[in-house]
Amino acid sequence: MTEATRELSFAQAIQDALAIAMVADDRVFLMGEDIGVYGGAFGVTGDLIARFGADRVMDTPIAELGGAGIAVGAALTGMRPVFELQFSDFSTLAMEQIVNQAAKLRYMLGGAVSVPLVIRMPTGSGTGAAAQHSQSLEAWFAHVPGLKVVEPTTPHDAKGMMLAAIADPDPVLIFEHKLLYKMKGQVPEGSYTVPLNKAEVRRPGKDVTVAAAGVMVMKALEAAGALESEGISAEVIDLRSLRPLDIPTIAASVKKTSRLLCVYEGVKTLGLGAEVSAAIAESDAFDHLDAPILRLGGAESPIPYSPILEKAAVPQVEDIVAAIRKLARGRA
Amino acid sequence: MPTEIILPRVDMDMATGKIGQWYVAEGGQVEKGQLLFELETSKAAMEIEAPAAGIVRDVTAKPGDELPVGTVIGRIFSVGEAYAAPSKPAKSEAAKIDTAPATQRAAIVARLEPGSPGGSLRATPKARRIARDAGIDLARVAGSGPHGRIQARDLAAGATMLSAPVAGGKALNFEWLARGTGTPLVLIHGFGADLNSWRPLLSYLPAGRPILALDLPGHGRSPLSGESSIEAMANSVEATLAQEGLGGAHLAGHSLGGAVAMALAIRPTIACKSLTLIAPAGLGPDINGAFVAGFLRAESEAALAPWINLLVGDPQTLGPALVKTTLRQRRDMGGADAQSAVAAALFPQGTQTSNVRSLLSRFSGPAKVIFGLSDQIIPASHAHGLPGTVGLHLFPGIGHMPQLEIRAEVARLLAENAAAADRPA
Repeated sequence: MTEATRELSFAQAIQDALAIAMVADDRVFLMGEDIGVYGGAFGVTGDLIARFGADRVMDTPIAELGGAGIAVGAALTGMRPVFELQFSDFSTLAMEQIVNQAAKLRYMLGGAVSVPLVIRMPTGSGTGAAAQHSQSLEAWFAHVPGLKVVEPTTPHDAKGMMLAAIADPDPVLIFEHKLLYKMKGQVPEGSYTVPLNKAEVRRPGKDVTVAAAGVMVMKALEAAGALESEGISAEVIDLRSLRPLDIPTIAASVKKTSRLLCVYEGVKTLGLGAEVSAAIAESDAFDHLDAPILRLGGAESPIPYSPILEKAAVPQVEDIVAAIRKLARGRA
Repeated sequence: MPTEIILPRVDMDMATGKIGQWYVAEGGQVEKGQLLFELETSKAAMEIEAPAAGIVRDVTAKPGDELPVGTVIGRIFSVGEAYAAPSKPAKSEAAKIDTAPATQRAAIVARLEPGSPGGSLRATPKARRIARDAGIDLARVAGSGPHGRIQARDLAAGATMLSAPVAGGKALNFEWLARGTGTPLVLIHGFGADLNSWRPLLSYLPAGRPILALDLPGHGRSPLSGESSIEAMANSVEATLAQEGLGGAHLAGHSLGGAVAMALAIRPTIACKSLTLIAPAGLGPDINGAFVAGFLRAESEAALAPWINLLVGDPQTLGPALVKTTLRQRRDMGGADAQSAVAAALFPQGTQTSNVRSLLSRFSGPAKVIFGLSDQIIPASHAHGLPGTVGLHLFPGIGHMPQLEIRAEVARLLAENAAAADRPA
């Protein structure tokens, strides 16, 4: 039992996980645009090329479909590829391989094969990168049976979920919010895993449940802290796993608080919040609801380039504060 | 003169309110309508807007202070207005009212009675579950949520009332204005009036139906007891009708009496057959505050006449009698203090603190609303957006007193409504 930890950034924690997996298992290798010499668009792979060589830290051409195809093929032959899509927005180009191949092959071949593939998806807005580099497309992939979709929010979970994803026999998409890369936290040394199917209560509370994903967890925690002085106690749940969604954890919380707010950065309509809301309405938590379930999601527009509009296009702390207050005071 | 900041009544059965927080500090400048402070009641927290523009001074209430409804908790001076300290601690007369013990609070919850009116009742799943388990009839719970939605907290307040006497009301003065057979017509007058105000209408109503009129608490010969809320007044009317052994009623109410009639109509004990509301209160937020204040303040015919004239579309309708009668009654019966208390609770500063609109949709019998389009006390626009099954009768050129201004028409509508309800389906 090792209790030793050190402070790492979210990006460093992922790199740590990748290095541990590559040392432990020769089948693990990395692919992606500019991940080698350049160290990755967000510096996640850093100098791994120096440690593991260009054969295991492979720069791929600007051809996402080809890269994804190679990764799926390698996984089918028993390799453990970790493929970085420089921006999750570029997954549109790799869709065929992810959705029609990686997600389906185990089923279509009667379990004779599996696709132990990890795809890293830098995601989200807030970096001034405009409409084609700022989307939150988690819900697209969370709609596809055969994929696992996770979105860690702490350095601890980023490392543990990466190691769990690499060890998993099936394709796992890891959404990494760009605004979290620099966030620091205590990370255990050595190898450990965080389950790919469990939400985590980040802050206990009794008045309102806030189910959030990605960077919205941090904003929800800030909102909950701000409301403490008003005597409003919000419970913040970090969804972490988007497919499968950990509905029992949310339902248990709603049974306690009677009120639910879903906060996510993806477009509000037909997004994560729709699924969470409906699942709770269908669950045995329904009879405990004392207010309509509220959602805060991204605006019905592409993410604007203007920093002011970019902020306005996704939920902010003050929006979350207002929504929690409305629920807690019986005005929703 | 500075404008007083008064702790308003925001809930039907609220006697005190707790200051949550001030959004503007002592000495700060506000616009009219700007959020001024947060008010917490046992049920909800509300943001209260500034009643006037200017500088906030003499703030006497701190966050956490619990004060009676009507307490003056500060003053707003116009920008440039010379400051003068309040002569006494800033507490208004209104602060004396509403200190009735909690046991006198309206019992808004009763045991489930079979066949109670359904309608479009709004309640959260949790409230429904609690009501189901505890055998509470949600139709008799006042919802504190948006659109009158019943939330769990409304039942928590009600649960303690279950063991209390159901009717918290005291019997009122009443008079049978006409005898007859069949279900009686019960008439409930408006603010500042009494049962006699219905007499001019009597000769227009078809003979044969019994008619009972009563004096609301603080009016005519009925003393004000306990709290001045719509629900409390309805309790008193309910108790009175029960004592008189009425097995059913056609309810008609004018203005404040209209709001009371709406609260009564959904009570199973009333067995209300039809509901006719004349320029009813309780449907919207505003009421002519200058009228309420001026009417109460006036001590001479000269001072009262302009306000009384505001009541009608054409002042010729009234003649000087009503002014004289009102003043004489005020002198003889001393109703002014009680009515001031009622006004402070129900109509502070041009605001109607009780909205009973949601109750109307729960009444399943025939209902009519009569408004004069020239009503200067309660805007006829309050009749917008009522359930489609409610008949709306709007009269151009008519003011707040259709029952005086167009007696034949009002009598006809009353009779038609009652007849429609009496007709076998």
